[in-house]
Amino acid sequence: MYFNSIDFAIFLPIVFLVYWFITQKNLKLQNALIVVASYVFYGWWDWRFLSLIVFSSLVDYSIGLALKKEEQQSKRKLLLWTSIGVNLGFLGFFKYYNFFADNFVSAFSFFGQPIQPNTLDIILPVGISFYTFQTLSYTIDVYKRKLEPTSNLISFLAFVSFFPQLVAGPIERATHLLPQFYKKRVFHYSLAVNGCRQILWGLFKKIVIADNCAEYANMIFNNSSDYSGSTLFMGALFFTFQIYGDFSGYSDIAIGTSRLFGFDLKQNFAFPYFSRDIAEFWRRWHISLSTWFRDYLYIPLGGSQGGTLMKVRNTFIIFLVSGFWHGANWTFIAWGFLNALYFLPLLLTNKNRKHTTSVVAQHNYLPNIKEFIHISFTFLLTVLAWVFFRANNLSHAFNYLKGIASKSIFSLPEVRPSYLILLIVFFICIEWMGRRSLFAIENLLIKKHFSVKLAFYIFLIVLMFLFYGKEQAFIYFQF
Amino acid sequence: MKKFIVHILICASILFIVDKLAYFILKETPKHLYDTRLKKVLDGEMNKELIILGSSKGAGNIIASQIEKETGYDSYNLSYMGSNVIFHEFILRKLLKHNKAPKIVLLTIDNPQTLINEKSLSYRFDKLYPLSVYNEVNDELIAQNDRSILSQFFLMGRLSKAHINYSNEKPSKDNPLLEDGSMPFIRVNPKSKREFVERSILYDKTLEMESKLEALNSIQNQCEANNIQLYYVFSPKMFNFNSAFYKRFLKLINSEKEIFKYDNNSLYTLKTSYFDQSHLMIHSAKVFTKEISEFIKSHNP
Repeated sequence: MYFNSIDFAIFLPIVFLVYWFITQKNLKLQNALIVVASYVFYGWWDWRFLSLIVFSSLVDYSIGLALKKEEQQSKRKLLLWTSIGVNLGFLGFFKYYNFFADNFVSAFSFFGQPIQPNTLDIILPVGISFYTFQTLSYTIDVYKRKLEPTSNLISFLAFVSFFPQLVAGPIERATHLLPQFYKKRVFHYSLAVNGCRQILWGLFKKIVIADNCAEYANMIFNNSSDYSGSTLFMGALFFTFQIYGDFSGYSDIAIGTSRLFGFDLKQNFAFPYFSRDIAEFWRRWHISLSTWFRDYLYIPLGGSQGGTLMKVRNTFIIFLVSGFWHGANWTFIAWGFLNALYFLPLLLTNKNRKHTTSVVAQHNYLPNIKEFIHISFTFLLTVLAWVFFRANNLSHAFNYLKGIASKSIFSLPEVRPSYLILLIVFFICIEWMGRRSLFAIENLLIKKHFSVKLAFYIFLIVLMFLFYGKEQAFIYFQF
Repeated sequence: MKKFIVHILICASILFIVDKLAYFILKETPKHLYDTRLKKVLDGEMNKELIILGSSKGAGNIIASQIEKETGYDSYNLSYMGSNVIFHEFILRKLLKHNKAPKIVLLTIDNPQTLINEKSLSYRFDKLYPLSVYNEVNDELIAQNDRSILSQFFLMGRLSKAHINYSNEKPSKDNPLLEDGSMPFIRVNPKSKREFVERSILYDKTLEMESKLEALNSIQNQCEANNIQLYYVFSPKMFNFNSAFYKRFLKLINSEKEIFKYDNNSLYTLKTSYFDQSHLMIHSAKVFTKEISEFIKSHNP
């Protein structure tokens, strides 16, 4: 079930009303409703894969309880590795089997030993990369004794399958989300309204920005050899806004929906395109994944504790793994590698933690010239990196970049949809105005009269209908 | 909770009113259209004896009023530049639904692109958008997967960019729309390429699209069911004739007698007869139209 579908528009109010009016007095019943609703939500795509989530949940639930009882370190380690093995085993099989099979065949052929490819026709279960990481965080935290394992099966099933964030995150930590299932939820008007506002903005990002940009990005990327350098650059720009609108839009809808049910999810995007350097970008883009890798990979590898060489090694490892997490294709690995390269100068000059707390132009309306140049440069690096993310294969990406670097970059682009450029400018302005908030329209017009706010929200809805692009699946569902 | 639900209901009510206001825009737009041919079809104002369907080959190369004069059949051209056979099928379906069935339909064939995936021939959604006030047009857009099913419930869902910039559609200086629906090329465009080219005469049947074959089949069935004489027209071009496609096409129709293929007129070997590699200039289109009139007369004495 897509968030931007009619199915979800019917599903959400039904679950909301049952949740607050029928099951409100009984916490267990409320959690059970979340489990059932989440399984319906997930099963809407393919009910067969429900068994995977249930199995994965039961394994981690049991291992969590076993870890509680077990004191012997070697056995605790064995339990931990069982959980990691099962979870990554599923992920590896469904997501990476064909990639490795293909590459083994290519490698053997390269050395003059042709072998028959043995790939399988595997369907990737939606959201497997997300819920796998979420359940893994539970087992690891229990193993490290940072979290008390739960004996409440329903709460645990609800934590793993919580429908707003099940298929594309944010990847929640058990330490943050699981305890919320133990407490009685109380309806707060302000939280619910805030949630609706965030859902609205998320839908706007997806329907108006991402889907419209997708039409042009697809057209240009799919026929890249026919276009001039300037048009190819436009294509990369459209994809840059497509992926941001698509993924951060999904996160906004997920967080907003959770608020309607009395849950608080972590912020996943913090206006990354206003970052002043690439390190700041990565603190603001897909925050739940970046912090997951930081806590469960980078720090266990030694983090920044060792010498420069170790820091560089660890940085490259997390960027490469992060790239590979996105998909079984060399383009994603190249994208990760390129970002690691971008990061390197900051790491070597110890400037990677320069902008950790404040947002750009914290106390001003506009950035100063230096900030503007830094934002533009970081944005440009990001746009070029996205070419690898979007390209069909590495040679497509290199040819695309070669096209951008040609003389025709100075010509007028053949594709320049004025309506879309205007929408993007409008979008950037709203995002800029709201950059100090959790999401762009959280505090926008907040002190204005109800009618003014309402007019603005209706205006956004009208724009959604007016510029309804061709419906595209959320990009991150494939991960 | 009560306050929240009340506010949601207020929002929904205002949205409902705004949505209904969209009707005025939807209703107004068709009145300002430059090309009203499809509107006339939907309004039942297209009761003609002979209809020309097709892409630019039909729009530019065949002049309906000339056929009318030469054959006596009340004729109209419903060909759209750059349209594909699926769109032609839609036009015919709507024509038969709202109007008296014509006696003759001329369907121009793009040799060899009619049945394959060809970028330059598409389903002309842009011709449908300004007419989305008609439920059947909106349903067609939904069926073609171009619009959300929500547009059946929300009028705003039927709005599109076309409702903002419909007035942008201006008459083409190269081939303005005539009263009979034809769009012959009246001036030479210096940018147009006018070179005779030898192209491959091979045709790969496996590239054919199922949806296009179905559309062609549906056109044939609708004509048969309504006693319409269907003729297929092959226009001259600056490319050599693809006989492999022609042979393939023969297998899809009842008889070769239904096909009109341009004559071996020496006019078609002159560069000056063409607007570009695929379209005739008006003077050669008149000659080609005359040949079609002769063909119709000989088949319908």
